[in-house]
Amino acid sequence: MATETAVHGPTGTDGADIRKTAMWGFLGSECLFFGSFIATFLLYSDETNGGPGTEVFDIPFTSVSSFVLLMSSLTMVLAHNAYERDDNRQLRIWLVATALLGTVFLGGQVFEFTTFYAEGLRMDVSPFGSAFFVLTGFHGAHVAVGVLMLTSMIILSRRGQLYRHRGMNVELVGLYWHFVDIVWIVIFTVVYLLQV
Amino acid sequence: MSTTEHATTGQPTTEHPPHPSVKRYWQIALFLGVVTAIEVAIAYIPDLDRTVLTVGLVGLGIIKFGSVVGWFMHLRFENKTMNRLFAIGLVLALGLFFIVLATFSGILSS
Repeated sequence: MATETAVHGPTGTDGADIRKTAMWGFLGSECLFFGSFIATFLLYSDETNGGPGTEVFDIPFTSVSSFVLLMSSLTMVLAHNAYERDDNRQLRIWLVATALLGTVFLGGQVFEFTTFYAEGLRMDVSPFGSAFFVLTGFHGAHVAVGVLMLTSMIILSRRGQLYRHRGMNVELVGLYWHFVDIVWIVIFTVVYLLQV
Repeated sequence: MSTTEHATTGQPTTEHPPHPSVKRYWQIALFLGVVTAIEVAIAYIPDLDRTVLTVGLVGLGIIKFGSVVGWFMHLRFENKTMNRLFAIGLVLALGLFFIVLATFSGILSS
């Protein structure tokens, strides 16, 4: 049975916030989701049907994108740290920084996709193209959802409506954001670096 | 992590040990940046044995993964339930990963 506490919201029998426990369960299920796509990509990484393959990858560019997303995890954890200290000004600064870094990453992905399309790598050209765009596209969609959640946090914080005990809070959004980052760590290694 | 009773409800509440300092977060981010640079450098070493390349990159990837999960997501400070929930997902994902690869690459379908 869940019990409402003033600071942490509903707690389970182990005393932990059940929303946080649920978020960890959700993130565990997301591991399966992305694990399937990564396995599929590896399966089809050589099946280019005569079209472009991994040679179109621009590793220096993707490395910079990866670094940007990695640093957004730093700004997110700094936002959470400010949230724990009830420092709303610092909280908003770091949330804005995180959302901006996420947007830069998404911009880089749009640029990368556009370039690949121009070079002939498309979803309908080969199994490699399908697997690549589905995997990285779903990851990009997760980043976009994360940016939307961060923007909501910023607006709620400005209005003074960011409550710890109700709905999504900064810690839960932070967990989601860091997860998006660790998925990219795997994608960057397996899809990009190991294929060059 | 310790568990105590909540003052008004009598329910157990979870008390976290202190989270890392801001300085420690910056140190971890610097470490992650350096590891990423090493990864990229390794990928460009000419004529590097494929096995060494794979083991090196996967190893560094695991270090980055563990650093973000443990320090930035604070999993090392959380209770067993949360650790288990994430571990179950991760283990199932790895199992599915290898089964899919083994099945469709023909290893299991001889």
